[in-house]
Amino acid sequence: MEGLLYLRAMVKQQDQVTRAARRAVLIDGLPVATLGPVALALGSDPDQSAVQKAWWIAATAVFALAVAWVLLRAFRRADEYLRKVQLESMAIAFAAVLVALQVATVLDAAGVIQLHQLTQLILIGGVAIWLVIADLRTRLHR
Amino acid sequence: MKNRLRELRAARRWSQADLADRCQVSRQAINAIETERYDPSLPLAFTIADVFDLTIEEIFLPNRADTTNDPA
Repeated sequence: MEGLLYLRAMVKQQDQVTRAARRAVLIDGLPVATLGPVALALGSDPDQSAVQKAWWIAATAVFALAVAWVLLRAFRRADEYLRKVQLESMAIAFAAVLVALQVATVLDAAGVIQLHQLTQLILIGGVAIWLVIADLRTRLHR
Repeated sequence: MKNRLRELRAARRWSQADLADRCQVSRQAINAIETERYDPSLPLAFTIADVFDLTIEEIFLPNRADTTNDPA
């Protein structure tokens, strides 16, 4: 019961900017969350026909554009502090993607893995790291 | 940089969300400024000063001990 009261108090305490930002992220995030797995599934078959490849490339391109659109809207909507948090989170995620790609490239050269199967997963992982860090940083410092 | 934001806000019985709405920023930004984890930009500092009807110097106090570029 006390937990419920606390949650109600926290929701009531949310300012207009935060409420609008969370609502917009949910609306923007839905197409990205849908397109990511779709693009991943379309590219998972190693013996693809030309038509399947075209669909895969199209889905990946739309996914990349959707991510860029969400990023742009998030930056334009955020205030200066949230923008700083977003940029720092992106920097960490970018470093993680760079390291993961480098490791994957070395493993690919050694014949342990196939790079083309992992590239998309690494990029999606990078976006996930960015979103999780940004969200945790704003939630933990209430 | 030290500031009197919490004290001034409490005197007016405003919540962080109230102040955030008045300054058109997020509550997290107000919280970060109050806890001295973030120094606001000059435009935001002016907005905060306007909201409290004070000058910037009356709200934000420089941390002179932290000044490392001081040649003296």
